[in-house]
Amino acid sequence: MEQLINDLKLQIKDALNLEDLSMEEFDENAPLFGEDGIGLDSIDVLEIIVLLEKNYGIRLANSKEGKAIFQSVKTIAEYVQANRKK
Amino acid sequence: MAEQKWAGTTYGNDWMHKWLIRMLRYIDIRILYLFVALFIIPVCLVLNPSRGIAYRYFRERIGYGRLKSAWKTYVNHCLFGQVVIDKFAMYAGKKFNVEIENYNEFLNLAAQQDGFVQLSAHIGNYEIAGYTLVAESKRFNALVFAGEKVSVMQNRNKMFADTNINMIAIRPDMSHLFEIDKALANGETVSMPADRINGSPKYIEHDFLGAKAKFPLGPFSVATMRSLNVLAVNVLKTSLRSYKIYVTPLHYDKTTTRKEQIQQLSKAYVAELEKRVRQYPTQWYNYFEFWA
Repeated sequence: MEQLINDLKLQIKDALNLEDLSMEEFDENAPLFGEDGIGLDSIDVLEIIVLLEKNYGIRLANSKEGKAIFQSVKTIAEYVQANRKK
Repeated sequence: MAEQKWAGTTYGNDWMHKWLIRMLRYIDIRILYLFVALFIIPVCLVLNPSRGIAYRYFRERIGYGRLKSAWKTYVNHCLFGQVVIDKFAMYAGKKFNVEIENYNEFLNLAAQQDGFVQLSAHIGNYEIAGYTLVAESKRFNALVFAGEKVSVMQNRNKMFADTNINMIAIRPDMSHLFEIDKALANGETVSMPADRINGSPKYIEHDFLGAKAKFPLGPFSVATMRSLNVLAVNVLKTSLRSYKIYVTPLHYDKTTTRKEQIQQLSKAYVAELEKRVRQYPTQWYNYFEFWA
């Protein structure tokens, strides 16, 4: 699980150009949205959706499901571990 | 200070829209054009901050003199009135002549298995003829503002009920993103405006008509995410009953970094938009501080 969390952090950092955010600062429990967390927005979510499809074969089509999955890197990792096809 | 953000909805209330559609079934459209030009536009020009925004656009961006800018501001508002009337005339069942430039470019992409993206702008009248470009084999998804008036949405739904057209409304719960992604992954077409920042505040800056302007990052990011082909589609009014659709492929290097792809694609879009705005300067309808 820890390896998957690190992989996801690297992939998200790379896809979203989060150059200023170090791996140490990138807390897997931090909320992805809002000022208290990483501060991602709707376009970033779409990037992550495509990233999950390309790297793990996961296709998310339900927005209600998405809300719970995209809370933090850890919740994404848990979902990936349970549903990955690659 | 003038508005920096667009309200995302058609002017007027549902009652006004319904009466306009009913009226347009029986009266000559030119009578309405004349009524609007003589009685509505002068009042709007007095009351609405769009007057100053349009004047500055003609003066500073297009480079007209003071008198010409003032006159073109009036013409621009009259034309805007006409395209709104045309939109409702279309809902009332009236037909317009539509000419398409580079139709083959559209047909080529429509014949391919992959989805593609159509980028529009708030010039001319995309709604009236933009939906002419719909392939029978490929579903067309248009991104629309969820806050649009009920009458407009109802008429759109009625018009497109038996077609291959699907409306995706931009919503705060981000459900539209899942719909866009699903459509593109299924090889469908997604059409979206790329000249107004709405939803995500992220933007990319380009020189546009001689000054820096901000364009939304989203549409360019969505297109490059799956390395999709992109068309710029602009629909301009050419006469009382005619429109011309300009279809232009926007090229970018799909092998370079995402950041560079977005830069190249947005630059190509802005260049095409500038070309059309210079060709039809009075059909620019972004009534907010675009260059702020």
